[in-house]
Amino acid sequence: MKPTKSDRKVLIAFLAPAVALVVLFFVIPVIYVAVVSLLKWNGLTSAEFKGIDNFVALFKDKAFLRSILNNVIWAATAAAIQVPLAMLMAIILSRKPKGWKFFRTVYFFPQVISGIALATMWRHIYNAESGLLNGLLRLVGLGHLATDWLGGMDTALPSVLIYWVFYVGYYMVIMMADITTIDESYYEAATLDGATPFQQAIHITIPLIKGTSLLTCVTLASVMGLRQFEQVYLLTNGQPANTTSTIVLYLYKQMQTGNYGRSSAAAIVLIIVGALFIVTIRKLFEDHKKDPKRVIEKEAK
Amino acid sequence: MASMTKRLDKSGQIKDTILGIGKWILIVFFAAYTLLPLIWLTISSFKTNFEVLAKSPFALPEVWQFKNYHNALTVAGLGRMMLNSVFVGVTSTVINVLVASLAAYTISRFKFKGKEKLFLLFTVGILVPLNALMVPYFLIISKMGLYNTYAGMIILYTAIGIPMSTVIIRGLMDSIPMEIEEAAYIDGCGSFGRFIHVILPLARTGIVTAATFQFLTCWNEFVFANLIVSSDKLRTIQVGIRYFTNQFSTDYVSMYAAIVISIVPSILGYVIFQEQIISGMTSGAVKG
Repeated sequence: MKPTKSDRKVLIAFLAPAVALVVLFFVIPVIYVAVVSLLKWNGLTSAEFKGIDNFVALFKDKAFLRSILNNVIWAATAAAIQVPLAMLMAIILSRKPKGWKFFRTVYFFPQVISGIALATMWRHIYNAESGLLNGLLRLVGLGHLATDWLGGMDTALPSVLIYWVFYVGYYMVIMMADITTIDESYYEAATLDGATPFQQAIHITIPLIKGTSLLTCVTLASVMGLRQFEQVYLLTNGQPANTTSTIVLYLYKQMQTGNYGRSSAAAIVLIIVGALFIVTIRKLFEDHKKDPKRVIEKEAK
Repeated sequence: MASMTKRLDKSGQIKDTILGIGKWILIVFFAAYTLLPLIWLTISSFKTNFEVLAKSPFALPEVWQFKNYHNALTVAGLGRMMLNSVFVGVTSTVINVLVASLAAYTISRFKFKGKEKLFLLFTVGILVPLNALMVPYFLIISKMGLYNTYAGMIILYTAIGIPMSTVIIRGLMDSIPMEIEEAAYIDGCGSFGRFIHVILPLARTGIVTAATFQFLTCWNEFVFANLIVSSDKLRTIQVGIRYFTNQFSTDYVSMYAAIVISIVPSILGYVIFQEQIISGMTSGAVKG
């Protein structure tokens, strides 16, 4: 529909609030962070232009380098373990075994519970004295393995990382929605040819979701891995000795100490690394995208 | 020959059985992994601190301590925090969905210059790591004089959800046939009238999806609530839990009770609005 003249004013009025909010809370902050990353500034006294000094300082800071490494490990773990597990469960549940709706509901729970509640719960599961994990180990006679999971130099990072990996519900649901759009006749033909469910998954399901929901999930998992904050903030606050720090935790701590320039520089690194991740993953999956047999309706239902 | 096919059938059957068992082991494992810690937490929230610290984590409480819940609600002021969360969540959801619907409507229904570029801005917004914007958010909210106010939280929550809500609602509005609106147009209905009387009712599933997603985001949000609010009167439930971990550093059971209280509405709401939440979270994801 072409807007008439009177419509035009209405249209501007309709769009204005949303555009204003997006400009104020997305466009300006990103520009702002970019500018402040070049300053020495504590938010109170007048700022001093420092060029790329903040970035140089960042990449000389072992705590920051460790944070980037942790984020990359985090993203890789999510993409290489969590997403494949989710895919496996999506394939299994989309064949609608008994009670599949119940299981889908349960698997999704961690997604609706706040990160804070989950992290606090897990801090107590990992607790050295009263925690569930050590209790479980003692129960099955592996008491000698019981340890202070979040306090140990070697155990802290894996502990913070791993508990989230087995929460597969989110990615599973995304892939299930995709799998249900696959034409039934493919499977019927395959069954007639004597293909087992396993073969069908390998040769039909996985190739067909590769360029769509699987790509989405790998992208999401990596991007979320890069953004980790709440979990580490609550579980370990980056300790022991920064072994569990992340980029966002780092920039948060820099901000708390009034080092706005360096905090903003870390934010810029995060935004750039995130964009690189998204572009790279898209490229990696591109070959699989050109499947003429299938165009998935991606619109929200 | 006949015996051979039979044998083959048999080995096929064995394979099927193994696959079947493996499948159920996985299904049950993931369910147990999600549920058992929650059950453990809930049962522990009814114990005494002595039982938690000195007895087996698998034992049931000797006497079910309902007073832990009383503690969490009164001593820590959990009730107030829940009300804060509901107030901030509902208000920002209503404003967010209204603003996003208006924008989605114009983008979906009208041709104008730069329309798709504008929409691209919204979709890119979904991908921006908001946590990286803590410094500017803190300063913008402070400069607006909204530090430590409900209004500050409401405007920030409304804003950060705009890209996602607009994308979800536009997706639905695109699927409403033009003819319906044209009929109303011929009947002399203006843009605003058409928006209210024709489009909004037809787009309600998309709006409910966006609203559910937005509310859940607000309810669970911690980082910014922690950043722009300092007074305990304004604290939301998530920030509250963070403070319990300090306040109740020795009183584990009250803290467990507090966490359970914060989780229950999320789970209940999810079970009721399951379809909306799942379609909201997945459609946003597929778009992103």
